[in-house]
This record gives sequence, structure tokens and C-alpha cells, in this order.
Amino acid sequence: MGDSQYSFSLTTFSPSGKLVQIEHALTAVGSGQTSLGIKAANGVVIATEKKLPSILVDETSVQKIQSLTPNIGVVYSGMGPDFRVLVRKSRKQAQQYYRLYKETIPVTQLVRETAAVMQEFTQSGGVRPFGVSLLIAGYDDNGPQLYQVDPSGSYFSWKASAMGKNVSNAKTFLEKRYTEDMELDDAIHTAILTLKEGFEGQISANNIEIGVIRADREFKVLTPAEIKDFLEEVE
Amino acid sequence: MVGSMDVPAKGGFSFDLCRRNDMLEKKGLKVPGFRKTGTTIVGLVFADGVVLGADTRATEGPIVADKNCEKIHYMAPNIYCCGAGTAADTEAVTDMVSSQLQLHRYATSRESRVVTALTLLKTHLFSYQGHVSAALVLGGVDCTGPHLHTVYPHGSVDTLPFATMGSGSLAAMSVFESKYKEGLTRDEGIELVCGAIRAGIFNDLGSGSNVDVCVITKGKTEYLRNHELPNPRTYASSKGFSFVQGHTEVLSTKITPLKPKPEVTVGDAMEE
Repeated sequence: MGDSQYSFSLTTFSPSGKLVQIEHALTAVGSGQTSLGIKAANGVVIATEKKLPSILVDETSVQKIQSLTPNIGVVYSGMGPDFRVLVRKSRKQAQQYYRLYKETIPVTQLVRETAAVMQEFTQSGGVRPFGVSLLIAGYDDNGPQLYQVDPSGSYFSWKASAMGKNVSNAKTFLEKRYTEDMELDDAIHTAILTLKEGFEGQISANNIEIGVIRADREFKVLTPAEIKDFLEEVE
Repeated sequence: MVGSMDVPAKGGFSFDLCRRNDMLEKKGLKVPGFRKTGTTIVGLVFADGVVLGADTRATEGPIVADKNCEKIHYMAPNIYCCGAGTAADTEAVTDMVSSQLQLHRYATSRESRVVTALTLLKTHLFSYQGHVSAALVLGGVDCTGPHLHTVYPHGSVDTLPFATMGSGSLAAMSVFESKYKEGLTRDEGIELVCGAIRAGIFNDLGSGSNVDVCVITKGKTEYLRNHELPNPRTYASSKGFSFVQGHTEVLSTKITPLKPKPEVTVGDAMEE
């Protein structure tokens, strides 16, 4: 794959022991739109800003939160096209796992395999790292789970996390507000408030996206009408 | 790992080992057998959708390998597929296409269409030139309406209002040909399908045991596993048998004492 002139790896170590391309990828993530996730006692919520480049863009055609399996969803900060590629690969891996083991893939396994793909692209010839960080939310036999996967391929389990432009404020806000025994509806309110913190302009049901998974293990992206209800409750 | 990413696998039958296999057969190696379903599978279109039916006997030559196997396979929430032929082939090909349909649903955010499943199945079977021995009755309801198709192992397809496949297909078809009419109700459709499968069960050795039915309508699918059990087992009394002493005549008696068990005593430790 790729021209023979570019068959060497573009991700090479710097003298200080860093992989500069990954650092740059993280910068790309850091300038992306804010997204966050909160793990509640009975479910997980993930949310993101949906700022479109112009009012002429049809916002119903953009869906930033995607489901990977019926019980696992994902949101990103960073480059949209890179996200689409990862979503496609992850969905295929989930199917392959099911074909092999006849068991729906556990959240940790899917996270591990997605992270492995992202790591591959930091150690292969002629490719660049993905410019996205993912927040993967799922509910399986181990309960509700939230994972963050970085361009380097490292992943962490979080109780609540944020990524993108407003990451530091959002994380501080979440640290203050998070409680261990939070209910999912409280978590959704907290998520909306956190997004509101750093929101430029007026927050509305059409410029944020929220995905939830409850104990019924079905990942759902909320409709604008449902988001509107939650927004009104928060006001 | 320099420069090699997702290379798509080349599909189709690989003829690499055919020469070796021929040579082995000539030398006298017995070709291993495989489990065939020797089946009756049927499908029909009724007023609101499709009804699929199948028997539940899986055979290995003259032996019944599975008395209650499942021949109606899940493809999508609105599409099911009955399989006749080699059980492993029908399982594998329906699992594979079901997985592909799921990925397609994610990519398009739409309900799967029956023609999609049909095309995926037939292109796969054609590329294996009939060596994947799967004869299928595919039925479902999608946004374009109810559909029923048959798929043959070599990859050809038919679109029909009523269809039968498998070794019991002639028995089942005779029932359909005499009783099928357009615009059947759900209960009439189920009764007709059961009648056709029963014809296969009782008149074909390769089919037997129970009747499985699957009713697919717009927005709802009912998988009626073992809808009819026309061949119940008559078990002997569950108390078992009691044999009174003296029932069996003793012809001769020989008593052999067992070797005496060696005595084990804990001795002193070995000398260094």
C-alpha cells in the first residue's frame, strides 16, 4: 500500500522519546468540537456539540454519535472523516467477533480492538495516525462502561470525561458535579450543563447531540424533541 | 508491518487440492461423508406477508442425526431463510449474509431488503460453483412489500408466490398446487404451510419430526418453533423397569478372590 517512497513509517520517535505525529494528532483532537461522556449507576450518556460550518448545512444529515452494536455507541472529537473510517472498522470487528464466538462483543473487547487499529496506524508505513479521540459508551454483563481511546491507541475507562476545545473547563465542571450513584437522567442534565459551559452562542436541540444507553442495553441517539425536553428541564 | 493494510480476501472456490483429492480417492481413500438436511422447506406469500415452514430432521445417510434441528435461519429482523442441503453450508452461508446485512444496516440506517439478501447469497453461491451445497427458501417483508425467493446451490434464483425445496419438495408442492390461492389470511397461510410440511414429513424419509413455522408481516415477525409436533415420542413408563431376583436363570457361578491389598507401613527415611 502506498508509494515505495513512503513505505517507511511517518511516526518516528523524537530524541526526547515522544512520537511527534501523535502529539500533533492530539492537537487536532484538542481543536475539535467538545464532546463528553458520563457513566451513571444505571447507564451511560455521551454528548457533543454539533456546530455546523454554515446555517445552510442540513443539520439532519449530520450524525456525530453512531452506534457500533445495539448496546455500544461512540462519539468523537477531531476529524469527522477519520471517525467514519474507525466506525466502519469497529462495526466489522464486532460482527467478526459475533461470527466467531456467537456472543455479542463485550465493550472492553471492542475498545481493545478499535485501539489496536489506531495503534497500527502509528506503526505502519505510508499512513498517518487518526485525528480523533473516541468516547465509547456501552452496557453489557459488566454493567455500564465508558472508555476514551486516543490517537496513540491508548484507552482508559472513565467515570466521566471530556475531549476537544473546552476540555479543561469541562473536566473541572464534571469533577465538581460527578457523584458515584448518579442516576442516568441526572447525568444527562449534567452533560447538558457541561456543554452549555463552553458553548459559543445559544444552545438548542439542533446544535447538540446526545446518545444514551440504559439498563435495557439499547443504545439510542436522542431525537431533537427529546433533547428539547431535557433542555427545558435544565433551564 | 510495512505498508500492508486491509487487503480484501479473494473469494470463490479454491481448486488447489482437487488433484490431490482425486489421487487419494484412486488410491482407495474413502471420501468423508457430511450431514445433509434431506428436508422439506416451504414458503408462501399471503395477504399481509410471507409464511415460511420447515421440518426438523437432519440426516447422515440413513441415520437421523438431529431429531429437532432448526432449519429456519435468521437473516434480518424482517427476513428469514429456510435451508436445505448440507447443514453446515446452509448455516455458514446464512450466518455470513446475516452479518453482512447487519453491517449494511448500520451503514445505510435502513431496514434490510429481501433482494439485498438474495443478491448476497447468490453471488456467494455462484462464486463457489455449486460446491456450497445450500438450497434456500428466502422470505421477508420490506419497504417494497412481501417477497419470496428460492436460491439453488449453483447460484440461480426464482421469485415465486409459493415455493418448496429439499427432498420432500414434491410432496409439499402437491399440497400447495392443489390448495394455494392469492390473498390467504394469516391462519389459512399457516395451515397450508403446516399441511405441506406434514406431507413431506410423512411421505419423505429424509424429512420428519416437527413443523417449524415463521410468519413475517410488515413490522412484525413471529418465529413459531415446533408449531406442530405430529411425531410425539411414546416413552416407556418413567418408573423404569423392576427385575425381581430369580427372573434370570443362573447357569454357573465362579468366585475369584481379589488379590490381598498390600499393607502400607510408614518406614524410616532413606539413608542419605
